[in-house]
Amino acid sequence: MNPDFTETQTLLQTTIRKYLEEEVPFDRVREHEEKRAADTKLWDGMANQGWLGVSLPEAVGGGGAGLVEAGIFVHELARRAAVVPAVEVMASAIVLARHSDGDESELLDSLVQGNSVVVPAILEADDDFETNTASVNATSKLSGEKHFVDYPDFATHHLVSANGTEGLGLYIVERSDAGVSAEPLQNTGRTPQAIVRYASASARRVAGGEAVAALIDIARALTSAQILGCMEVALEMTVEYTNVRVQFGQPLAAFQAVQHHAADMCMHTESNRFLVYELLDNLENGRASSHDAALVKASVSRSIPFVTMQAHQLHGGQGLIEENDLYFFTIRGKDRALAWGTAEECLDRIMDEVDSPARWL
Amino acid sequence: MDFCWPDEYLSFRDEVEAFIDEWRTPELSAEMREREGAPGPLTRSYFEALQAKGWMSMCWPEEMGGEGRDPMYQFILVETMEYWRMPYGNLTFTSVAPSIAQFGTDHQKEKYLPGIWKGERTFAIGYSEPNAGTDLAALRTKGEKVDGGWKVSGQKIWTSLAAHSTNIWLATRTDPEAKKHAGISVLIVDTHAPGVTIRPLKTMSGLTTYETFYDDVFVPDEDVLPPLNGGWPIIMHALNHERVGLSPTSNLARNYDVVLEHLRESDPEKLQDPIVRNRLAELRVDLNRHRALAIRNAVTIARGEIKPAEASMAKISGSELRYRITTLLMDILGRKAGLERGDERSIEDAYIQGNYLSSPILRFGGGTNEVQRSIIAMRHLGMTR
Repeated sequence: MNPDFTETQTLLQTTIRKYLEEEVPFDRVREHEEKRAADTKLWDGMANQGWLGVSLPEAVGGGGAGLVEAGIFVHELARRAAVVPAVEVMASAIVLARHSDGDESELLDSLVQGNSVVVPAILEADDDFETNTASVNATSKLSGEKHFVDYPDFATHHLVSANGTEGLGLYIVERSDAGVSAEPLQNTGRTPQAIVRYASASARRVAGGEAVAALIDIARALTSAQILGCMEVALEMTVEYTNVRVQFGQPLAAFQAVQHHAADMCMHTESNRFLVYELLDNLENGRASSHDAALVKASVSRSIPFVTMQAHQLHGGQGLIEENDLYFFTIRGKDRALAWGTAEECLDRIMDEVDSPARWL
Repeated sequence: MDFCWPDEYLSFRDEVEAFIDEWRTPELSAEMREREGAPGPLTRSYFEALQAKGWMSMCWPEEMGGEGRDPMYQFILVETMEYWRMPYGNLTFTSVAPSIAQFGTDHQKEKYLPGIWKGERTFAIGYSEPNAGTDLAALRTKGEKVDGGWKVSGQKIWTSLAAHSTNIWLATRTDPEAKKHAGISVLIVDTHAPGVTIRPLKTMSGLTTYETFYDDVFVPDEDVLPPLNGGWPIIMHALNHERVGLSPTSNLARNYDVVLEHLRESDPEKLQDPIVRNRLAELRVDLNRHRALAIRNAVTIARGEIKPAEASMAKISGSELRYRITTLLMDILGRKAGLERGDERSIEDAYIQGNYLSSPILRFGGGTNEVQRSIIAMRHLGMTR
């Protein structure tokens, strides 16, 4: 039982953090938000650093690490509010590497280089992970509509859940296929998102139904790490601001009422930090179930509105102005809380497990 | 980073559970309940068996007579005992004995330690006073130097177990001229000494505590912990490993499990209600968040690192979850959950009801949660004083 990063993990964390602080000024994030377009320069840079394949096998040019390292990567990107499909690509790639029926090394190799970008397309109009009406016919043409697809146009490939002749599975569809069209959505997080329509688009089956479930679990765990990153920065910014903002002749941070709000934000952050990395480590080592993933996603999705809204309370009017960086974490945090299963959906998922004894170790 | 519990911890948990299985009888529970934690004959033999296992002092340093075992064993012991609602060491074992072993004179060690181990000597803690609670160092019970010892006068409150104890571990002001932290000594007072008066105070959770009065009580020099006027560090001192289990998850998890068990047997339909299930799912999230903070704190302490804010977080989270979880579980159970201890229709002898009513103690006791939140803000987050 060791909840702390190894030296290698700490090195990865600090290297990525330093790189992002130097390479991604927040004003660049504002530009990409404005355009609702992915930060391609950053993506290329990260490919050059070798980080896109951190959790992929060495055989495809990856770093051979596990889900914890993928978590560190998306956690750090969330701390910088970077407009890149980190969770989407990591989750897709890990599923392709570990759960595909055939050999996907060619695609993964190109993904590690930054030449290919794969994003999942799962949800449909009814916003229910159980629904899959998209279908693939005998000539491998996929038809259907997928909603809330993140970064669909930056992607070169979509990993689409659909029912084919062999049942439910994951299919690779090329974004450039004439049968694929995207209708942009304007989401809270101000990141690229769309409804994607597939009209007899050529599809290649890569994995069965169990891979869909694995994709959802991994995406929930990684999204939880993103949310943790948002929580952490909102707290850090609050401490920094209240330490310098003077009212009634003393820094706000010296008022007990302010300190106690911050202490509560801290408890949410620290408890979720443990749970998020415990989940990643346990998923990596086959010790976690879909219930565990849902529980952690429910936890962070409940905590992030609390932490960011307390941050706003303590920042006052300053925190609402977009020249201040706080809003990034409020809007992204909420967007991610809704993604891959809201708190309610995830609670719903663990409701069928409530009869088993509560965990205490 | 590795979140797997190693086999040696899990097999220790199994060993503790096997021991509990052997001793957890209705007779023992009845005796403990009647005597409110003061050892009766069954409890005494249970403690002797526990002592024989070596678990009470397994994590003590070897020079103090322990085995110097990894403090995570203490964490596993506490969590396992708390889950099964079994006693595993009161303040006599966890605070007084180690303090005597570490700070006491040879004479004090010989006089008190063997009796403590046999369960013949139990101590009540005399720290709080009517005007010295959270601000403990403001205590006013005073000792006046007389020939061969000290003449003590004053009043203590929350001297729990005083009526069932042989001694009181008394924080006393022995130098009225010194600064408030510097003039305090720890005195060992015989509960039967002339001038000691013990008055019961019944609390709303059904437990009785005591206030104690000292009217010119004579305490011989040999019963003063050395050094004179150096009592504050002794009062503040806690053995490192004792703090690993300061805020267990398992007793709260047990409340959850007991309610589920009860509903399965007596009201399975309620358990199918989606609203009830949703509430239970939320409780599972809350329990896990507390588990995270409790384990985090234990791991840090077991490594010998000192991060007071982690202990504060575990303390706040456990004590506040206790009233939330008991309230919610009582609501789910319905009117029956409001029955008091002693009513045979109550569930698990109204344990959860008692837990609800005693939950305020954990929030303000042991350093109020307000003080703990300020510790987190100032010592962990670096907020301005």
